[in-house]
Amino acid sequence: MDPYKVLGVSPSATDDEVKRAYRDLARKYHPDNYADNPLADLAKEKMQEINDAYDTIMKQRQNGGYSAGGQSYGGARQDSYGGAYGGYSGANAGVYNQVRNAINVGNIGMAEELLSRISQRDAEWHYLRAAICYRKGWFDEAMQEINQACAMAPNNMEYRRLQNMLSNSAAYGGYRPMQQNDALDCCTQMLCLNCLCNCCGGGF
Amino acid sequence: MFGFVRPLRGELKVREWERFQSVYCGLCHTIRSRYGLLQTVMHSYDCTYLALVLCALEEEGASCRRRCILHPLRRRTCASESEGLRRAAAVSVVLSWHKLADTVRDERGLKRFGARALQFLLRRGYRKAARDLPEFDARTRDCLDELDRLERQRVVSLDRPADAFARILRAAVADSGTDSRVLQEMFYHTGRWIYLIDACDDVAEDFASGSYNPVILRWQLAQPSLAPVREEMNHTLLQSLAASYHAYILLRPHRDAGIIENILCQGLPEVTRQVLDGTFTNHGGKNRHGSL
Repeated sequence: MDPYKVLGVSPSATDDEVKRAYRDLARKYHPDNYADNPLADLAKEKMQEINDAYDTIMKQRQNGGYSAGGQSYGGARQDSYGGAYGGYSGANAGVYNQVRNAINVGNIGMAEELLSRISQRDAEWHYLRAAICYRKGWFDEAMQEINQACAMAPNNMEYRRLQNMLSNSAAYGGYRPMQQNDALDCCTQMLCLNCLCNCCGGGF
Repeated sequence: MFGFVRPLRGELKVREWERFQSVYCGLCHTIRSRYGLLQTVMHSYDCTYLALVLCALEEEGASCRRRCILHPLRRRTCASESEGLRRAAAVSVVLSWHKLADTVRDERGLKRFGARALQFLLRRGYRKAARDLPEFDARTRDCLDELDRLERQRVVSLDRPADAFARILRAAVADSGTDSRVLQEMFYHTGRWIYLIDACDDVAEDFASGSYNPVILRWQLAQPSLAPVREEMNHTLLQSLAASYHAYILLRPHRDAGIIENILCQGLPEVTRQVLDGTFTNHGGKNRHGSL
């Protein structure tokens, strides 16, 4: 595929324009925006395509005498539910490991099924339940479960990380919603400011 | 339940706005020619959005000029009938039918009678649409039964009833070509948003009548006002929109990306804000014709 098309710029674009287009796209499809997302594999492919296009263009131009600056984005934040997990050593460690594996391979149905069989609900249970809910797009229940997990185990950094990811506006990733009240507030403020200024300086 | 998905008109280019209208008209014509004139009374903006997205993924994007009952004097530009429009038309007819069935089940008196009568008139078109998308029809029926069960249990959860509804929209785009996986994700999250925004919009009404409302139950609202939970609801609703957006950008639309992005990034967040503020009106004011 035409690398210029991938980046959405014309072949006559300057290097800076190419770089800017690349950076915007890389931010849009950054793996962090797709952490724990069932479409993460497709986002990764897209990112690869963008990286390849950028590299191709820069190489072409380098041969024409230009020295390319900036390198393509690479690493994703590793956020699997398997690896760095050693804190838990309760009675259900075996099942919890199976649940984590199921989540990692994207078999949410099985993860849910396994988890529902456990009757003793500790912090880890709530954490895994939160992870499952998040994958399914059940954002409110994910929030409740992770809060529960953090309340039961306040010092667990893994739980905290998911809680942070879910609770602030970072939860929207690359999505920038526009709600007009921001603009309205600004207008109202200006109006008020205007009135105040009139009060101060507008006397006879 | 319908009519929340719309663009923010002030931010659209004139030709984008005309294109949106032409898809609306094209869908209406498709519904009429395939399922009968009467079906078009149930025509909604949510299905226009579905049509817009499905058409954007098609190679061809022709339009034609046609007259209709609402606009008998001047011919209007309409999107030409295509695979995407036909699917959206069938989805629209099937959904309308089940929505009426829902009204018959839940309401009493005149409203129920009206829904029954309308259902009787629309039955043939519905049967044809259900034949065109049998899988979707069955799935819709199952999900609505489940939703009805959850509502009767008065389940205290936002996500569980929303999930039952969202799976209907997911089914609407199942097996629609190579992009199906992305589309299913995109419309699942849109579905969750529609269900919850509708619940928010109905808080005052349901509070008065004592009907099931997941938002009232979830937050144990003591007053018919969303003010105490506005932040939380806004957050959870925007999370669905964000998920929908992240699915959408993995598609490769041939056209209308500006309109779809307007809807996802501006129209729906704005509807969210208005519903939570209590300033949302279904017609968006005079002459706004389905936009904000």
